[in-house]
Amino acid sequence: MIPRWTTTLYLVYLAVPIVLLVVGSFGDLWLNTLLPSGATLKWYAAVAADPSFRRAFGASLFVAVMTCLACVAIGLPLAYAVFRARSPRVRALARVLYQLPVALPALVLAFGFILVFSSDTLPWLGSIWLLIAGHVVLCLPYFLQTVVADMQRLGLRTLEDAAESLGSSGLQRYAHIVLPALRHSILSGLIIVAALSIGEFQFSNLISGFLNRTFPVVLLQAFYGATGFACAATVLLLALALTASITGALSARGAGRLPPAGAPA
Amino acid sequence: MNEASVHLESASFRYPGGKAGIFDVTFDIAPGELVVCIGPSGCGKTTLLKLIAGFLRLDSGRVRLGGEDVTAATVRSRECGIVFQSYALFPHMAVWENVAYPLRVRGIALAERRRRAAAMLEMVGLGALRDRLPAELSGGQQQRVALARALVFEPRALLLDEPLSALDAATRVTMRDEIRRIQKQQNIASLLITHDQDEALSLADRIAVLRDGRLVQVATPQEIYDRPADAFVAGFVGRANLIDGVAVGADAVDTPLGRLVTPPHGAPTGAGVRLLVRPEKVQPVEAAGGENVFATRILQDRFFGANREIELGVGEGSIKIETAARGAIAHVRVPRDAVQFLPTH
Repeated sequence: MIPRWTTTLYLVYLAVPIVLLVVGSFGDLWLNTLLPSGATLKWYAAVAADPSFRRAFGASLFVAVMTCLACVAIGLPLAYAVFRARSPRVRALARVLYQLPVALPALVLAFGFILVFSSDTLPWLGSIWLLIAGHVVLCLPYFLQTVVADMQRLGLRTLEDAAESLGSSGLQRYAHIVLPALRHSILSGLIIVAALSIGEFQFSNLISGFLNRTFPVVLLQAFYGATGFACAATVLLLALALTASITGALSARGAGRLPPAGAPA
Repeated sequence: MNEASVHLESASFRYPGGKAGIFDVTFDIAPGELVVCIGPSGCGKTTLLKLIAGFLRLDSGRVRLGGEDVTAATVRSRECGIVFQSYALFPHMAVWENVAYPLRVRGIALAERRRRAAAMLEMVGLGALRDRLPAELSGGQQQRVALARALVFEPRALLLDEPLSALDAATRVTMRDEIRRIQKQQNIASLLITHDQDEALSLADRIAVLRDGRLVQVATPQEIYDRPADAFVAGFVGRANLIDGVAVGADAVDTPLGRLVTPPHGAPTGAGVRLLVRPEKVQPVEAAGGENVFATRILQDRFFGANREIELGVGEGSIKIETAARGAIAHVRVPRDAVQFLPTH
């Protein structure tokens, strides 16, 4: 009985701020009362019309997509190398190294970036690519963790040995076995990466240039203005993150239903 | 054709930085023959399989498959069908696609792949399940898929790495017979690795006993059981009473049980000899008196339905017997011709 009550209380505690945000975003006037009065869509229209929000929306999407692509391009070979490393000591060391960014506050990373990239030799501070590079550093550990764990769970090494004994070449093994067998964990890794990247504030706030500020960075400004406007903008961020997760989850399920590689089209 | 399908000649391999490996192993597998390699864990039996398949390379010696020297060949070009302990089915491919995979990488057309995979699945009794995913099959069914996949491309040899160890007891017996039937039907040279003596005795055309990386004995199951090369083989395959004693005269040995009359042993009086007596050859008898009859007391009595396995205290030693007799056992007789001599090294 007590666990059930605790769970319920905790869920209410989780939901209340979100519910209030949604209510506030549709409220006309909200001054020192528990709930706002009047219903309106004007705050959403105002956010949609605001050029800095529109730009930030686009920037956030672009950064998230690019971060995802980079995580696959860098993370997949890296995960494979860590998984196939012969010596257990090398594997353990690699694991510690790639998990390091999780323990590193984003703030520290940002200060490091500012120090290095405001110099004359590397004057890239303010570029959106630098922002993406930082997001990759912050997100890659989660992607690697997901994919390496799946490789171990599947016994990928034995699957590859089996394929090789059946006559499959190195390239064929990668295309027929490694990639398709890992597709679920690659997708779920990317969902995590997209959600992290879209919601990232600490690092982006310090690193992003004025023209490519991401949504959470611009959102902070909104709280100095009308409450309804801030609520609407926050709900949009929530929707953006949710869309990323749900799209990811759906495509993962879809991939499960797709005819497996090699089936007749 | 009289040529062996699998031929190992003075094969040696040592794991870098370790003592384990395979040392000077020579043996053949004839076409259609099933050799079961047995030994305690760590004896090198899986290493032996990896050396034949090409996952490991010999330090010295040769491997031949179907008459061709493959000592330096890659895994792919050796064309061995392998059934892994974990089956290693591709989780994202349907059953028929798993079976057709070796044909796919050989560039065989889709229609032909489907047809041959279906025929192979029919043979292992899984025709109806060809569109399932491996995760939807039972352990025994997955085993059959792995077998079909390993055979569909007509490999030069079939290698099975502890194929039955992941199955429950009842399925294991069924699959044992299935493997035997399919292997004979395909008439393919096969090597099966196991640590289970029942599996080895019931499946093998010949058994190869491996210990610390060396072949101790290669022979038919009956010969391994009836004429083991040494105490290790006698103790590892089947149950055994190994008795150390001292030779007396031409045909007797003093043992902890008492004085045993034996077949002529040819050892000088006072020399140490080692005897083997299989438990099922020891006979419970009613009364004392007669050759090799000893008074006993029961130390341990395990009932298995048809048989009992009893450990009896005799003299200063003990002896294991296997008998269908019920009730108390006061005396046993060790028939003279049930006593065998093993080398004492």
